Amino acid sequence: MLETISNLIARVLSSSLLSTVLLLVRAVTPIFALYVVWRCYTSFKKGQRRKDPVILLEDAATGARFPVLYWENSIGRSRSCDIQIPDEAVSRDHAVLMRREEGWFVCDTGSHGGTRVRNRLIEEPTLVEIGDKIKLGTTTLILRSTEESPQKKRRFFTGFSKEAASPFKLMAYVTLVQLSMTVQLMLGMGEFHLYPVAPFAILFFAGWALYFFSRRILKRVSFEIETVALLLSSIGILLLSGEGLDAIKMQVAAFGIGIVLFCFLVWFMSDLERVMKVRLYIAIAAILLFAVNLVLGTELNGSKNWIILGPVSFQPSELIKIAFVFVGASTLDRLQTKKNITEFIVFAAICLACLFIMRDFGTALIFFACFLIIAFMRSGSFRTIFLILAAACFGVFLILQFKPYVAQRFAGWMHVWEHTQDSLGYQQVRTLTYIASGGFFGMGLGNGCLKYIAAADSDLVFGMLCEEQGLVMGLVVLLAIALLILYARSDVTRSRSTFYAIAACAVAGMLLFQTCLNVFGPTDVLPLTGVTLPFISAGGSSMISVWGLMAFLKASDERTYGARRARNGVAESFVDTNFAGVGNPSGKRGRGYTADNSAGNAGRVSRTRAQQSEFDDTSEARRATTRTNASGRPRPRRMEVNIPDEKLSPGRAPRTRAQQSGYDDTSEARRATTRTSAAGRARKRKE
Amino acid sequence: MKTTGFRSFVLYILLFAFLGGLGWFGLNLVLNGSEWASQPYNGHIYGEDTAVSAGTITDRSGMILAQTVDGTRIYAESESVRRSLLHTVGDSSGYIGTAVQAVHRSKLVGYNLLTGLNHTVLTDFSSSMQLTIDANANAAAYNAFDGRNGSAFLYNYKTGEVLVKISAPGYDPMDVPGDLLENEAYEGVFLDHTLSSSYTPGSIFKLVTAAAAMEYLPDWDTRTYTCEEVYGIGDSRVTCLNYHGELNLSQALGYSCNIYFAQLALDIGADKLQEKAEEMGFGASFSFDSVTTCKSTIDLSGASDLELAWSSVGQADVLANPYHMALLMGAIANGGKTPEPYLTGRGTGTSYTLTDSATAEALHSMMRNNVANYYGDYLFNGYTLCAKTGTAELDGKNPNCWIVGFSDDASMPYAFAVCVQEGTSGLYTAGQVVAAALDAIS
Repeated sequence: MLETISNLIARVLSSSLLSTVLLLVRAVTPIFALYVVWRCYTSFKKGQRRKDPVILLEDAATGARFPVLYWENSIGRSRSCDIQIPDEAVSRDHAVLMRREEGWFVCDTGSHGGTRVRNRLIEEPTLVEIGDKIKLGTTTLILRSTEESPQKKRRFFTGFSKEAASPFKLMAYVTLVQLSMTVQLMLGMGEFHLYPVAPFAILFFAGWALYFFSRRILKRVSFEIETVALLLSSIGILLLSGEGLDAIKMQVAAFGIGIVLFCFLVWFMSDLERVMKVRLYIAIAAILLFAVNLVLGTELNGSKNWIILGPVSFQPSELIKIAFVFVGASTLDRLQTKKNITEFIVFAAICLACLFIMRDFGTALIFFACFLIIAFMRSGSFRTIFLILAAACFGVFLILQFKPYVAQRFAGWMHVWEHTQDSLGYQQVRTLTYIASGGFFGMGLGNGCLKYIAAADSDLVFGMLCEEQGLVMGLVVLLAIALLILYARSDVTRSRSTFYAIAACAVAGMLLFQTCLNVFGPTDVLPLTGVTLPFISAGGSSMISVWGLMAFLKASDERTYGARRARNGVAESFVDTNFAGVGNPSGKRGRGYTADNSAGNAGRVSRTRAQQSEFDDTSEARRATTRTNASGRPRPRRMEVNIPDEKLSPGRAPRTRAQQSGYDDTSEARRATTRTSAAGRARKRKE
Repeated sequence: MKTTGFRSFVLYILLFAFLGGLGWFGLNLVLNGSEWASQPYNGHIYGEDTAVSAGTITDRSGMILAQTVDGTRIYAESESVRRSLLHTVGDSSGYIGTAVQAVHRSKLVGYNLLTGLNHTVLTDFSSSMQLTIDANANAAAYNAFDGRNGSAFLYNYKTGEVLVKISAPGYDPMDVPGDLLENEAYEGVFLDHTLSSSYTPGSIFKLVTAAAAMEYLPDWDTRTYTCEEVYGIGDSRVTCLNYHGELNLSQALGYSCNIYFAQLALDIGADKLQEKAEEMGFGASFSFDSVTTCKSTIDLSGASDLELAWSSVGQADVLANPYHMALLMGAIANGGKTPEPYLTGRGTGTSYTLTDSATAEALHSMMRNNVANYYGDYLFNGYTLCAKTGTAELDGKNPNCWIVGFSDDASMPYAFAVCVQEGTSGLYTAGQVVAAALDAIS
């Protein structure tokens, strides 16, 4: 019986039918991957809060209203300020109004006249409440909440679908991609192999574990960044699996560590004060790690950027990328008070110098690109950037002048076909040959020839990916990485702080730049520098590092920390009202929502309206509620989350208020209520 | 945050640079993908041993010369055919760079942009090739080499179709010798000697000297010199195989008299002989199926009288490429002009003019005279040929035996050049190769 089955398998494997079927599988796999990549991006866009003001600043004298649009808002006379005050007595960059865990804070950023809150000159960030007066120069601003309900804006292009995809569905597609690649591994390499089940199982369980941890335990709304990262990691690890299990042990371990690091960093960055405090230590640690690397480093493949400890070897420079972003990014109040970026330039210069000593020019270039992005986003000064670039060009010129052998390394660029048998073009021409050989759909996992060339699974991995899985899959992977730029860009003003915004942009830029070097080097568009392709290349340090970097993108998404506060309320909803300090009802899953209410919120329903209004911001919420009830159906407030509000049936409308009050009853709100109850009530009465 | 948001546009610069690079790469892939994929080191085409994925190659009669069966490259059934066509069809490893399997590999491997080198239904349609080669004639000619090294080339000088192309040493592609790379007997085995080698031509060069005389000496057809077996030039001398007495050009060519041509060349002068040789294709590269062939060379600048005398009979430093010699024969047969020979399709349409029609006519009749009155038609099984033999003397080796010529029969418009190394004589050793080939063709 067993023999019959194995005979059958052998016959199927040798038939030409199988190869046709596998070709079709390879043709379909990138379509699933593309779907995941594209839907993750569109869902992400749909999940974004609309840019409507939640609170206002009212000029007490003129009654002019300044909408407050961001989590951190610069206030000053300068045209570039988020809130521009036409008052000669106000400094150009006078103060920053920012939203933190506890509420809205005002922070003076080195103004001439100082900033007064409730008639007191402030020195530290000071909590302000609705109705509080903030005095800058001769202008007095009163913090108000908005009254208008947001306009429904139409997007011209909604990405073929009006609704966000469910994270569960997208994860299921990731599993489908994993499955199809595993099937290819099992059947496509001439004989039947069972071992690919192992990497599949690990990827499957690690992916879904992260999903349940994030969605069910942490109750996070969004899972797009993780989904894309899991998809790319899976493609990378399964691609390397073609070489057998030994080839991926380290990769899989690094993948696990990377996920843990990702979770840790996302948690770590939830408290900006903590981050800003340890930044200096991170910088020192990074430089120390480089120093250790220089002393203990081992030379591998021409650069001395490896530390080898027993069986484990790693590249400290990969981890320092994370530190580099930490040190580079900054919150708006600090950006305003400390305008020059000398410290960061010094830190970057040390990092670059270390990398040059190690002769790791590829990584040095990546750091430099990251540095330029951060420097520009912090200073906005073209002059600084041009000076830096000029200095860099001069440096490169000097190096080439005194060490011409460095240039020799790149002499094959654009002439690789004259060097098919020597080191100047050997790897490049083979990469090109095998990319072309693979066509759109590849020769099949494990059936490539490029893998026999040195560094095929790291520096030339794009060639290997295209050869074995096809050009289409290669392009989907590149699209996924390129879209990170758009993620970071579109989140930049919605982030909870410029720290997250700058960090996310730096990371997206760094990863795309690294991708450029990796893809364009072996394909002879650029000179060949040995850098890894994020997620795909073999290399544990790289895998850990890129997952760590993903944490910055995740943190820049304001929804990441939003749902944290909704734990007691409606689990599934993202609450942008964190931003405003106002709760918002919605539940994608009726059951969960009902259960939550019946269990935990019943007591809160009875809380009086007076109590609600005590927390000033909620007055607005109350109005919203009233409107909702009047119109007979709940009206969404800035809910562009993956939860269609319409699903909240009219029948549930009466509960809305209760739910809201229950919902925005975060411990913080209650604390605020207690603290300001008297003043608040008094103000309320006046209104 | 507004300014931070605004400044993030720098990321777009990077994004556009990325898209630009990707576009450039994509364009190159579309334009050059076929060439990239068909490189000789490509493991999908050339396996480590002999597994080759490529289309079927047939000869002019449809005989299969090479095909892929179950991932293995299978060559012609007959061993003689396989050996004789090794340098035309090619080996499985792609070492023979001038062979069809190397030159036309992008067609043979069935590359297309969409599926790459994947074997699909599309591949079978596009990857087969038919050659102009006559496999049986090749085998017959190869056997006539009798194990010697050398080369043979025979083509239709009216159309350009190549019927015979042989290079030896070779081996059986179905049974690659294990010591191929070490054994000295296989030295230069990957070179197609018809295209990529030049040999001392010996007496066949007398055709060039004769052509120079026709141009520069008005009395060339009546001019006589006397051969006394030895002719002194300065302290040295030129020797001849026999005592020929007084000869005219036609007789001298028939007897292949060194001393006649030595004296003729001294009267023509080095510059003019050089000029005529270059006009007839010496020093020039020719093209064959997109392969650039090895040059024939002669350099008479500053040559002494002795050097000129020996050069005029194809000794000294003169070298001739068999393919070029065949082209020259085709041109002489065809009024001075020959189409470029080809193996597949309809050829390139290029033609080469190597001499004027009057000279071609005169050489034509003298070469017919050679065979009719000096060599004997019986040696060529009765075919009406025009030819010139050469037996180039080499230091310490048996001579290079040449025969170049063409058929005078309008129904068999073939021109040929055969060079057998270390034979006994041009006429007998090389002549039998031509006879065998012509027999097999008709």
